[in-house]
Formats: sequence, structure tokens, C-alpha cells
Amino acid sequence: MVTYDSAIDALGDPTRRAIVERLRRGPSAVGELARGLPVSRPAVSQHLRVLKEAGLVADEPAGARRIYRLDPTGIAALRDYFESFWTDVLDDFKAAAEAAAAPTTEEERA
Amino acid sequence: MSVPTAAPTVRKTINVACSVEQAFETFTTGIARWWPLATHSVGEERARTAVFEAGVGGRIYEIWDDGSEHEWGSVTVWEPSARVVFSWSPNPDREASTEVEVRFASEGDGARVELEHRGWERLDEEGPSVRKSYETGWDTVLGHFRSAM
Repeated sequence: MVTYDSAIDALGDPTRRAIVERLRRGPSAVGELARGLPVSRPAVSQHLRVLKEAGLVADEPAGARRIYRLDPTGIAALRDYFESFWTDVLDDFKAAAEAAAAPTTEEERA
Repeated sequence: MSVPTAAPTVRKTINVACSVEQAFETFTTGIARWWPLATHSVGEERARTAVFEAGVGGRIYEIWDDGSEHEWGSVTVWEPSARVVFSWSPNPDREASTEVEVRFASEGDGARVELEHRGWERLDEEGPSVRKSYETGWDTVLGHFRSAM
């Protein structure tokens, strides 16, 4: 479970989830994001750095400011990872559940 | 303008050729018989077995060759042969976890099993669940704020 660990770690923090939720409504500069969050502006910058490294947000310069936005490819990749994770798990579960049931059927046939 | 992003929420449905009782037992307390530890665990080749304790509060964890235990989560809803919900947080450093719900229902000669892994955040929906996780997030953040003062 080390694949996409950085994205999972990033979303495991409630402040970062709050930032992602705000960015969902549209791109934003750091100052705007920090306003209304009970953490300092440097803390918001640090959270954005973590989100960026995880591929969940991207940024670009606009004059002297940096504007942050959600990066849908990072989020989609994280989802793909979990989709395949649970597919693998359920395939093995199904095989085991049905194997446990099978001997009873054979006994009934005998 | 909001970004249309795919939510990480995963929903899967499979049908199994066995009873709901068998399906429920296999998925939960019978986990050691089938969970793909080598590829789907914290320890991978170091993981020896997995444990799923029955009942609310039951621990779900893997045990390594050296005997150490590594938590995956714990049971929050336990309805035998119907539903199990558990927190999912296979990394001890993370303060918040996601949630997995598995529902079991008889269907034909077998059972239908539905799994939902959710709780990251609703990136493409708005509504009570978003606000609830948002509020929980605030509680956690403010809690840390208070204890730091």
C-alpha cells in the first residue's frame, strides 16, 4: 500500500481537505485560502506544498501572486489506485467465500 | 466555475455463490484465509497474517513475521450477515481515516456484496456529507489549536 502514499497522506489531513474543498469551487491565491482557515498563512503554504507534491493541486504565477487550482489528474490517479486495490481484494474474497461453500455441495451430492 | 473532478469514493458490487452468512464470515473474521497480504498490506512480504475482530470496536490489523501488529482500522458498525462498516487507516501517522462499508444481501442462490470506500471528501458533490466531514475536520484542527496553547 505504498503506491500513491503521498496523495493518501495529503488527503488524510483535515486542513488539507478543507483547502481542497475550497479549491473545488475555483482557483485561489494563498492569502485568500488562509482567510477563514484557523491556521497561519505559512501553514497554508506548507499544506499547499504537500498537496502539490502529491499531484493534487497545481499552481501558476499571476503577477506577484501564485494561484492554486485542483489538479484532476492526481485525484483521478488516486481513485484508480483504490479502484484496482478493492477489485483485487474482492476477487480473492469471492474465491474464498465460494470455496468454503463448495464442499457442502459435494457432500450433498455424495 | 468548479473543477469537475472524479471523487476517490470507490463503489464495487460482486455476486458470490454462497450464503450471506458465509460471505459475511469470510469477509470479516475469516479474513486470514484470503486477504492478498503480499501485495495489499503495509508490510507486504513481511506480513504473515491479517486479523478482523468481530463486533463494534473490533480491531483490523496485520501481523508481521516478527510478531508486530500494524493497524488497518476498527469496526464501527457490526450487523452480522447484513453490514459491516470499519475505519480504514493503514498508516499510523495519519490522524484521519477513511471508511469502508460492506453490505451483504441474499440474491438468487447466492449473495450480493457491495463495498464502498469513502470519506476522503466529496470532490464532485455538495451536501450534508461534505459539511459533516468539513465540521469534523474543524473539530480536529481546533482541538490541536487548543492543546497547543
